[in-house]
Amino acid sequence: MNKEDLIQKWLDHNLNPRELEAFKQLKDYPNLIKLDQGLIGFKADTINEDDAFKNVLKSIDSLKKKPNKLFATLSKIAAILVIAFGIYFYTSTLDTTTYTIASQQKSIVLPDASQVQLNAVSTITFNKSNWKSSRNLVLHGEAYFKVAKGKKFDVKTNLGTVTVLGTQFNIKQRNDYFEVTCYEGKVAVNSKTKQIILLPGDTFLIIDGNYIATEKENVSHPSWLINKSTFRSIPFREVIAEFERQYNVSVEFSDFDGSQNFTGDFIHNDIETALKSITLPLQLKYSKTDNIIRLKRE
Amino acid sequence: MSKPLKDHICEEQLFSSIFRTHSKNLHDFLYYKFGSQLNPQDKMQEAFVKLWENCAKIPQNKAKSFLFTTANNLMLNEYAHQKVVLRHRMIQPKHTTNINPEFILEEKEYKAKLEKAIAGLTEAQRVAFLMNRVEGKRFKEIAQLLDISTKAVEKRIYGALKKLRQDIDEL
Repeated sequence: MNKEDLIQKWLDHNLNPRELEAFKQLKDYPNLIKLDQGLIGFKADTINEDDAFKNVLKSIDSLKKKPNKLFATLSKIAAILVIAFGIYFYTSTLDTTTYTIASQQKSIVLPDASQVQLNAVSTITFNKSNWKSSRNLVLHGEAYFKVAKGKKFDVKTNLGTVTVLGTQFNIKQRNDYFEVTCYEGKVAVNSKTKQIILLPGDTFLIIDGNYIATEKENVSHPSWLINKSTFRSIPFREVIAEFERQYNVSVEFSDFDGSQNFTGDFIHNDIETALKSITLPLQLKYSKTDNIIRLKRE
Repeated sequence: MSKPLKDHICEEQLFSSIFRTHSKNLHDFLYYKFGSQLNPQDKMQEAFVKLWENCAKIPQNKAKSFLFTTANNLMLNEYAHQKVVLRHRMIQPKHTTNINPEFILEEKEYKAKLEKAIAGLTEAQRVAFLMNRVEGKRFKEIAQLLDISTKAVEKRIYGALKKLRQDIDEL
């Protein structure tokens, strides 16, 4: 066996006893053994397997905890979303209410693009979420409607329900005063005492439970839309009530009861002119202090 | 039939046994390849943590190569191609009785030469050679660890020995 083979076998820790003897006889032997001894000094650090394994397990544990944290954060986010969605859902199904104060008008567009013009001191309530299935709204006060074509459109007031299919009309309900005027299409009015269908120009009027017949009117929209209140044989106290709402004043009178009928109009943007418009025809005098107006017979 | 049970290593007992089998070899491999500067023990542990994270995907027979590859990559991420110099620890000679100063000096010189010569080996040679000489591993074992042929290991080790002796003679 030659030298190289012996050294190879030595390197592979694979010498049998006879070969080992032969290897020891090589002249390289002392040199190789010295080298081999020297190399021991390069031995890698010994590691403590148990400690190392514990370290690994510890890192693994901390890894395992992370998904839990992630889960916790995710569940927090989910909870917030649920609450937010809940609030959104709750509020979106709530009724929408719009109101006006004295001498204010508001214009509202309903979900189906129907338009509502709200006169002073009036409230309108409707539900956005089920608007498609039922076009219902509740009105206190006076409003002008321009209804988009579609299903039944109901306006409920304290003194009756007005049902239409797509038209323009005005409703005025103040205390015991209930007036519906149709401007276009057909309007069904359902009050406690009377059911009637209005055609364009027709007006339905109930004051204190009494139905009052009125003449056909030939206008396309209520006059209050252009800042003017018009009356045709309407008790004077209703005129004064309207005046109070439009100018946010209180009107006092003592020496007459306000039951006489008034025909005429007053404008909404000039109180002096308006006062003259309602007092002159009835030969009344007026005096004004702050927001209180006193009316007296001449 | 029990083979599928052992197909993945998420089970703690199996993982533990894999750790016992490979941790030292892996650590030594990293040490001889990259030296001690980059903390081979840390990298070894990190590789095992990564093995655990991927335990569902790795069959048992692939665990070793996964560990070695992962640890090697972890090292390479930090390793800025500086020259690896393995430190020679002074080992107390066995026969402490009659040491003369001359002998000690000679030993010191020899070790310095050895250090230099080892640094002159290629990385592949150094790893295979030191695993063979220092850890007493046979060619076949090294071949398995490094995923190369026995013949290649033989060549590396023999080549390393030749180069070392030559370098030491010259120094």
